[in-house]
Amino acid sequence: MSGLNFNSWTENATRLGMRIQETLAEHTKDFSLSSSGAGYYDAGEDKTKNIKAQLDSGNEREKLEAMKRLIAMISKGRNVSEYFAPVVKNVAAQSLEVRKLVYIYLLRYAEAEPDLALLSINTFQRDLADSSPLIRAMALRVLSGIPVQSISSLIVLAIKKCAADTSPYVRKAAALSIPKCYSLDESQLPSLIGVVSTLLRDRSPLSLGSVATAFEAVCPTRLDLLHPHYRRLCRVLVDVDEWGQVNLLELLIRYARTMLPRPSASDSTGIEQKDVDADLDLLLVSADPLFQSRNPAVVMSVTRAFYYLAPPSQHHKIVHPLLRLLTVSPEVERVVLAYILSISHTASHLFSPHYTRFIVRADDSPQLKGAKTRLLRNLITVDNCQALLREFIDYTDDVNEALVAGAIQGIGHISRTLPEATTQCLNALMACIKSPHDCVVASAVVELKSLVQTQMQSSTHASAPLMIVERLSYRIDEIRHAQARACIVWLVGQYAADDSPNAVVEGVVPWASDVLRKIAKSFRDETVPVKLQAVTLAAKLLVLSPAHGTLTQLAKYVFALARYDRNYDVRDRGRMLQQLLAGVVPSVGAADAKDVGGVVLRRAQVRVVLFEGKENASSGDVARDDPVRERLGTLGLVLGRDVPHARVLPDWLEHGVEASLRISPDEAHPAPAVTAIGHVAAPSRSAVAAGGQSTPIVVLTPAGSGGPSPAGSVPNRGNWTDLDKFYASDGEEESGEEESEGDGDEDGGEEESEEESDRQSQVEDDDGTGAPQAPEGENEEDSDVEAGSSRVASVR
Amino acid sequence: MAIDGLIILDSTNVKPIVQTSFRPFPPAYPLLHIDAYTAALEKAARPEDVDPVLLVSVPDGPAACCHLQYRSLAFLCPISQDLDPLYALAFIRTFIDILVEYFGQVTPPTLKDNFDIVHQLLEETLDAGGHPNTTSPNALRDIVLPPSLITKILSVTGVSGISGPSTNNMSAFSSPIPWRKAGVRYNNNEVYFDILETLDAVVNKGGNIVTSSVLGKIDVNCKLSGTPDLALTLTNAHTITEPSFHPCVRLNRFTQSKTLSFVPPDGRFTLMEYRVDPSASKPVAAPALTAAAAAQLQVQVPFTLRTTLSTTDHGGEFELTFAPRAATLDDVAVELYLGGDASGVTCSAVTGGGEWTYVPTRRTLRWSLPPTASGRTATLHGTFSSAEAHPRPARAAQVSFALPPGALLSALKVDQLKLVGETYKPYKGVRGRAFGRVEWRVEWKRA
Repeated sequence: MSGLNFNSWTENATRLGMRIQETLAEHTKDFSLSSSGAGYYDAGEDKTKNIKAQLDSGNEREKLEAMKRLIAMISKGRNVSEYFAPVVKNVAAQSLEVRKLVYIYLLRYAEAEPDLALLSINTFQRDLADSSPLIRAMALRVLSGIPVQSISSLIVLAIKKCAADTSPYVRKAAALSIPKCYSLDESQLPSLIGVVSTLLRDRSPLSLGSVATAFEAVCPTRLDLLHPHYRRLCRVLVDVDEWGQVNLLELLIRYARTMLPRPSASDSTGIEQKDVDADLDLLLVSADPLFQSRNPAVVMSVTRAFYYLAPPSQHHKIVHPLLRLLTVSPEVERVVLAYILSISHTASHLFSPHYTRFIVRADDSPQLKGAKTRLLRNLITVDNCQALLREFIDYTDDVNEALVAGAIQGIGHISRTLPEATTQCLNALMACIKSPHDCVVASAVVELKSLVQTQMQSSTHASAPLMIVERLSYRIDEIRHAQARACIVWLVGQYAADDSPNAVVEGVVPWASDVLRKIAKSFRDETVPVKLQAVTLAAKLLVLSPAHGTLTQLAKYVFALARYDRNYDVRDRGRMLQQLLAGVVPSVGAADAKDVGGVVLRRAQVRVVLFEGKENASSGDVARDDPVRERLGTLGLVLGRDVPHARVLPDWLEHGVEASLRISPDEAHPAPAVTAIGHVAAPSRSAVAAGGQSTPIVVLTPAGSGGPSPAGSVPNRGNWTDLDKFYASDGEEESGEEESEGDGDEDGGEEESEEESDRQSQVEDDDGTGAPQAPEGENEEDSDVEAGSSRVASVR
Repeated sequence: MAIDGLIILDSTNVKPIVQTSFRPFPPAYPLLHIDAYTAALEKAARPEDVDPVLLVSVPDGPAACCHLQYRSLAFLCPISQDLDPLYALAFIRTFIDILVEYFGQVTPPTLKDNFDIVHQLLEETLDAGGHPNTTSPNALRDIVLPPSLITKILSVTGVSGISGPSTNNMSAFSSPIPWRKAGVRYNNNEVYFDILETLDAVVNKGGNIVTSSVLGKIDVNCKLSGTPDLALTLTNAHTITEPSFHPCVRLNRFTQSKTLSFVPPDGRFTLMEYRVDPSASKPVAAPALTAAAAAQLQVQVPFTLRTTLSTTDHGGEFELTFAPRAATLDDVAVELYLGGDASGVTCSAVTGGGEWTYVPTRRTLRWSLPPTASGRTATLHGTFSSAEAHPRPARAAQVSFALPPGALLSALKVDQLKLVGETYKPYKGVRGRAFGRVEWRVEWKRA
């Protein structure tokens, strides 16, 4: 007997071996592991001719080859829609490999050839009943991708069928097909909304993220549909897939803004917690663990939830997660810095203790350097100003000119925010002027100018800022940067007044006239901004000391040069100032100008015109972010400009809607507890016997406290073989929880509901509290609940 | 809330290899994005200087092109709706991870070799509407066959009926746990943990640390049968701050007991990433830390570097002195950018071994040192010339190093691993590796 078996076995094996050998020999040309694909990819045009024949052949291998070639041509961006008819015929091919490639082809071209695609509809409908969820999902995807309006009711039927599928993956595909169907035929809206609300009831967290997407596409304003699901959606949030979490959170944030009462913004911490609605708190508590998601987009969504929903006392929670994102990768860092920068305009106290996380590295990209300096400028406080000043001084050596300019502005910013640090800042800026690099000098001079102005306005004894101007004026020969030179010339003119009696030139500080001399000499070679300022300087000095002969000659010379300058701005400025001075020094007035009439100003008046009203316009960038527009986590903020169809958060409703609306109809019956997959306690058979099945009263965590998946129970391992049973029991447990929450709402006191559930759990509390260190697996359930409620206590 | 599609470019010739269909958009739409990317790339001094979120003007208003460079490939993800760019960037990252999982090396030739698989992966991971769909590698492996010898043989010979990967079509989507394959069987049940830590620090001219942090991650290679439920405890877990986890980790359990409790995916995955904060509160149970243990908790830079740089007209002079502190360091390399027009670099005196090279494309001097025993100082002295009148070298030297295998920067250790739910005893392996990336600012004297 055994010999016989053995014989037949060896025979079979030999046969198989031979067959493999034969086919191998036959097709060795295809059997090269490394370059077979590239063969298809780089295949020449000549091979395309027989694709059609291959597709029509009965051989699966030939078909596969043809399909691969087609896909390769799609990759190369070639249009291969001409093969649509022969490809469609293969939609029912035996080989799944071929079928999948056919589906990929159809997904690309169904739109271009809708009529031909219609031919295959029967196959898709048959596939909707296939035993493999993969085929069912794919069939629905292709079917919903055929843009023929006449079949929209057919698609709706298919979506409905799949929405009731046993596999959550197929239900997910159904949800994703809804937006496509809606854009195809808007008249299907009522039935699609029906499907969406069916899907919202889904017990599986797998499909819920896609349902949120469908909801946003089909009925974004029907937030009322969410009432009975809101609490459950909050609880399962942590078990939804990463992409779904982003979509679902966005939906829940909108719901909270529209339907929940606004948390009162009283700043007395501690009591404030009471003012947060229980349902809002549930959302925040459920979202909180997701700060630890590995997906930056999820972290950002949770940040949005906390920043735009939570009272300010909870805003600190966003700090560390955002700081963590900075280390994920440079591109994530770039985006997150834009968000932090936007937060820092209104709430810099959140990030200023962590300024060392924004230190600019020498090899950062230019965008990072720019964002970091702007951010550091916003974070200056008394505590960190010394360290930041040292940092900014170091940055002035950087190779990136924008960073150098930013750092020097930062130094100025420090001295403006903290007057006690001014001397150090001035020293640093004066040191910068000695730099051989234009950009350093230029930025430093511009910053010094604004500093001098601020100081002159504020301080009574103006000697210190005048010293700066004097030192700058001595360096005029070395400073070649146009803007910087113009700046110095302006400063010299502005602060040239000297009332001391022993002045060389009466009324003018000695260095001012010297600067005019130098600049008049080099006037021809100066740039336009410097020329403009030179003319102004001449006019100012003349007003201060109209009687001085040499000065008048010098001024006349400058005006003469300006009059024949090639730049019309310079000519205009010269002529204007000359006319202005006509009443002060008549000889300066343009020689050819006849008396044109009008008002001639006296000296004191001209002085007012030339010197007054030059108050410092604050430099540095003003907070551009409008606090009213809440744009954290949007493209518009990152790009720094508006994008079409920007997401806008709705305003708070002051009171929200009745909380009782959110009690779901099936909350009535508590049931054996099983929580969602990811977050259950370690399964153990004894605990299952003790808590999961034999005890009808389940230990529940009180309202809004247990977190998204309170680990208050143990899964029945038997259920793990069948997904739907698994999720079904999951749901029952949740409805049990909701009940206790409902109690909490009616009583109006959280403490009470907590106590109540404590009473409920008395049976198990005995060993739970008695042995918190119980060995793993034995008292898993109880100890978890312990920890859960102690956390509640700390939160409140 | 959806991305528009994905374009994979060969960045050597900036030609698309694979791209999604961009169905509702005009055919020129992806080309506009590719052009915008190319233009930005040409403008940037280094490829990494390109802004990762580019503004692209398309007929319907502004759109954005989020992109990532991965080796010799560029991944472009256009978005035209108001969507968080992080969403697009995270999707690109996830897709790259999937490609790495499937092909190991991800290069233009591998993608061209396996374009049909790449297409299938794209189709599964990104829905036609631009919503990420199935992105868990375990679930994908059931739907899209990874390239392997056996699938090759089967497809070429057309043999069916051998129990192999071809039967998996029925098992697709059958696992109740989205991230774990159903029915995994191994003869030897093994699980390996790799703890990788990186010291990231900036040191100023005076040798004082401006900022330093240790970033770590735990990579797992899991080869366990069935549905194992693991509980991993770490010693010194209190020093962990800002952790992030793989979706399989039960977040509440970690918050409560600092224990990582999870049903792992099959194969390789990153379990958690963390940052070590040595200043975190010391464990209450052990108030009397020994001096050695306390010192170990501090994150120190394990070397000193003295760099003096003096620049004159059209040139400069530099001297680097590297002195390791205590530990032996491997793969030490010091890089110094010498400014936009630097050339003619010569190093006159080298003590303590090591080799220097000048990388003209990056204008960078690179000095690689032999493994350093403690206390041996190495110096490098040299000059360079520059076309610029006032050369502008970098204000800091970049130092990279590795600690010898096994040594970690933090005091973190795997304490124990418990397995529940399966009867076998797995083999457990733990490895540690630590690297450093330190920026040491340069003392710059101008003549």
